[in-house]
Amino acid sequence: MKRRSFIKKSFGAAAVPVFLNGLPLRTFANEFTKLTAGSPNDHVVVMIQLMGGNDGLNTLIPLAQYDQYAENRPFVAIPEEGNRKYILLNEIDPPEKQLGLHPDMSHFKQMYDEKLVTIVQNVAYENPDMSHFRGRDIYFMGGGTNDYWHSGWMGRYLDGTYEGYPDEYPNDEMPDPLGLEFGYSMSLIYQREEGIPAGMAIIDPESFHQLISGGGIDPPDWLPDSHFGDEMKYLMDLELKANQYGDRIKEVYDAGINSPNVTYPETYPGEVEEGYKKNDLAWQLQIIARMLSGGSKTKTFLVKLNGFDSHAEQVLENDTTQGVHAALLYHLSSAIKAFYDDLKDQDLDTRVVTCTTSEFGRRVNDNASFGTDHGTAAPQFLFGPMLKQQLIGNPPDLSNLDDGNLIYEFDYRQIYTSILFDWMETPLEILDEVHWTDFVDSRLDLFHTPDGIDDGKGFAAVTEMSVYPNPATTNTNLKFTLKKAGHIHLAIYDLNGRIVRQLFEGNKVVGEHLISTSVQGLKKGYYLVRLRSGYKITGKKLLVQ
Amino acid sequence: MYSLTPLTGPLGKQNAGHLLRRATYGPTQKDIKEIALLTAEEAVNMLFETQDEPDAPIDPLTGENWVSPKPGEDNSDEEELRKYFAAWHLELMRKEPLNIREKITFFFHTHLPVAYSKVSLSTPVYYQNKLYRHFAFGSFKTMFRKLVIDNAMLWYLDNTFNYVDEPNENFAREMLELYTIGKGPQIGQGDYTNYTEDDIKEAARVLTGYIFDEEFTTYDQDLLPETQIATGYVYTYDENLAVLHDPGVKTFSEKFQNQQIQPDEIISGFATKEATLTELDEMIDMIFSQEETAKFLVRKIYRYFVYYKISDEVEEEIIVPLAETFRDNDYSMVAVLKQLLKSKHFYDADNSETTDDSIGALIKSPLDLFMGALKFFKLDFPSEPDKLYRELYGNVLLSYFYIMGMPLYNPEDVAGYPAYFQGPGYNRNWMTPTNLAYRYYPVYALILGIKNDDGEALLEFDIVGWLDHPDNISDPSNTKEMVREFTDGLFSKSLPEERLDYFIDNIFMDGLPSSYWTTEWVKYKDGGVDTTVRALLHRLMIGLMQSPEFQLF
Repeated sequence: MKRRSFIKKSFGAAAVPVFLNGLPLRTFANEFTKLTAGSPNDHVVVMIQLMGGNDGLNTLIPLAQYDQYAENRPFVAIPEEGNRKYILLNEIDPPEKQLGLHPDMSHFKQMYDEKLVTIVQNVAYENPDMSHFRGRDIYFMGGGTNDYWHSGWMGRYLDGTYEGYPDEYPNDEMPDPLGLEFGYSMSLIYQREEGIPAGMAIIDPESFHQLISGGGIDPPDWLPDSHFGDEMKYLMDLELKANQYGDRIKEVYDAGINSPNVTYPETYPGEVEEGYKKNDLAWQLQIIARMLSGGSKTKTFLVKLNGFDSHAEQVLENDTTQGVHAALLYHLSSAIKAFYDDLKDQDLDTRVVTCTTSEFGRRVNDNASFGTDHGTAAPQFLFGPMLKQQLIGNPPDLSNLDDGNLIYEFDYRQIYTSILFDWMETPLEILDEVHWTDFVDSRLDLFHTPDGIDDGKGFAAVTEMSVYPNPATTNTNLKFTLKKAGHIHLAIYDLNGRIVRQLFEGNKVVGEHLISTSVQGLKKGYYLVRLRSGYKITGKKLLVQ
Repeated sequence: MYSLTPLTGPLGKQNAGHLLRRATYGPTQKDIKEIALLTAEEAVNMLFETQDEPDAPIDPLTGENWVSPKPGEDNSDEEELRKYFAAWHLELMRKEPLNIREKITFFFHTHLPVAYSKVSLSTPVYYQNKLYRHFAFGSFKTMFRKLVIDNAMLWYLDNTFNYVDEPNENFAREMLELYTIGKGPQIGQGDYTNYTEDDIKEAARVLTGYIFDEEFTTYDQDLLPETQIATGYVYTYDENLAVLHDPGVKTFSEKFQNQQIQPDEIISGFATKEATLTELDEMIDMIFSQEETAKFLVRKIYRYFVYYKISDEVEEEIIVPLAETFRDNDYSMVAVLKQLLKSKHFYDADNSETTDDSIGALIKSPLDLFMGALKFFKLDFPSEPDKLYRELYGNVLLSYFYIMGMPLYNPEDVAGYPAYFQGPGYNRNWMTPTNLAYRYYPVYALILGIKNDDGEALLEFDIVGWLDHPDNISDPSNTKEMVREFTDGLFSKSLPEERLDYFIDNIFMDGLPSSYWTTEWVKYKDGGVDTTVRALLHRLMIGLMQSPEFQLF
């Protein structure tokens, strides 16, 4: 919605609305964001909303209680025999802890075996609410049953982290939207206590850009102090941000790619009604991967997969392993696998943590319509190479129910606080604004430690790195010291975040190291030399002349 | 501070426009001028004049209705029929004389929704809509009692699968939480202030044993012969034994005074059909006799017609008295809306503060936005059913609403369209940057017109003709007065001088003196071509319909 200059354009004589030509993209002066102590790191969190309340019990079956499981839900139980039985999660688990995955989650199992998944069992909160709206609001608000804030936890986190939003954004340090969700409406998760939300809702970057490139006029200079004035201000702020971000979103999207080796999944191969055949999650993750690839500094994303409210027809009448729930779990698993394959090919995977959320689990007993009703606790999943543990918590106890519902073991904020505090390295003052200081002590230990030292994956502890000569014309040298042996990755990146020189990936011993490289053939300009070990990154600017 | 005392004296243009925009789908300039001369009492009474029941929708393929009897082999596909139903409803809104019936009918739909993603047949949706229209000027309570066994609702929230041996709580839960008494704060485990989790279970038991009628031949007996509305029915063995209904005693919590409900006649261990229906009546009576039910519903009505924020004072001084009116008049929509729409409060006249004025304070729904424009500019629509329903609505217009953020008859949530229930933003939920950009599109449809694949015009708008009519603009040649009169009718509030000048100087005249318009208009009226004046007016239209002012009402 640019200013009045659009009015001078002529429009085509099509019978349906035409997209006006976009105004020329403003040239983007690229500056590197220094990872100083005050500014946020480059870690990303993607929340996947499983809309409707995912049936955790059919996602992850407590095998030691299989008989009781089958007895409680005869119409929907996954079989324990045959070629469509559950997938054994981990044969090393002791019998009383063994779990079976829904048979359509083979991609999930693959990722689990590669240590790219954390399962947290029995997640909910005290006095859980079984209403879609209140349940979802609670998770998005980041509160408990008695909290009624107008803001979401991401909204408060972003508000605290990016002071001065919206008036002082976008700016050179943060040219991208603070958060992005896909869809036609903006979720509570991004709302701030006052004013426009911290995130933006778009359908996709391409159409968004085309869309907002035409239309709109200048707002009035002053507004009356009335409800009318309040709504006018809201509209004006929204439009302004859309204008400002529209070009940038497209620019980043165009600059990014998806790995040519990865095919994102499109359909469920089994039997399910028409409306659930198509994978509605994959395209959202695909866009995120591409935007990160293009250099987006957006750190928070919300994607959604709908259809989990399986009161009826959760399964097919003649086959409990196919149907709506099966299709959705298949879509979830296959899309996340493709997402992380794509990110890994582009060296972005260690920056991204993905976490599922759902307003509640479902009842242990099924109902007469091949479905299940609203319940309480359920497992939640995190994905990414920087996760430390695979399985947290105990299998749900089917003999110790609360009025037919599972009892929770972990408050969801024990997960989310770790995401903000450990993964996003949020300072305590901001965590306090999010209202989660009480959960710091009880937060789950989910991520590899910041200094890169970890026995599990063997990342090396890096100290300094220097680049000389700098500026360079023919060659340059990279000198760095490792305090601990381990796996590192050293490469040179261009302004768009793409690798132009792959220097080294592999294990190095303790001590000083020197790697030389030619810079001939590189276009003159600035580059970034990045040494990565675990998720600790050391960067140095290199000027090629 | 706030008062329901009736407003006296002639309404004047701003109040008339406000009333008509909120109570109908959009006035014309002439409507506003005429209603401005009436008092609130007269104007509101006029809005409630009874009308005849409309004819059923037509399938262009057969030239006849398809809902009664249900679609046959010669009819269009269900996917098409669904569009024709929506189009038929929109046409009712568009062609309605100044009357509030369609606004209330649609209000019922936003409060008690249905979605094609679940209920994928047009016939039950039609009958539900017919039920809503029939009760628009009737009792909400009676309407709701009938809605419980309406086919579309039985399917939508699975009550048609709710049996004595395997209860399905879906409808029972939403009935309490969203549709009648509403959820209060959770003050204990399973305790939501107004009802408990156990109440949901007991309600589900009362609701067992009702079935979706696939033939649509069970008609509501109370409403015959006046009107024929298909409903679901009690499933019986031998015509009398409700074998899928739970015959036990249902005991509700102290929120409902520990009321017990049970069948008054049991044969061979089953409740009779009549006893089953009586239990339902008793449960509806029980719910609607709670004070909170009327208040919850009145808040919904208030948000739909007035403003989305309800302060403690508004709650005490407006909502509570209106709820009393509602309850005392057997939940009469007419009683409560007449009181509200005639009150000083509705016209921001109950106190001298302007900070709490709600005229112009609601973001329009895509329906208000687009339909309002179509009606304001008095566009002609084709009369031939194929052109109207299949080509214009089906191929073009219905998708406009969708991309503007309003999937008609297909909301994602069982609570309806977020603007009407999702606090704290409510109407702000219509707005995302994407939706806002698409809301700028309707003006292009008016300017460019809409044609079908053969190049025939489906929709055409002649702005010059519109301007040149004294009903719309008194003196088109006077630049300032013309834009003033134009914007006074199009927007909810008269523009401040500075803003009016902006529209004239920057948008309309684009830097040229305003005398330029006068010169061109006079040239045209003297027999010249209309090219220049048309182009200038198009520019003005775009500016007006892409202004933030236009997004509000």
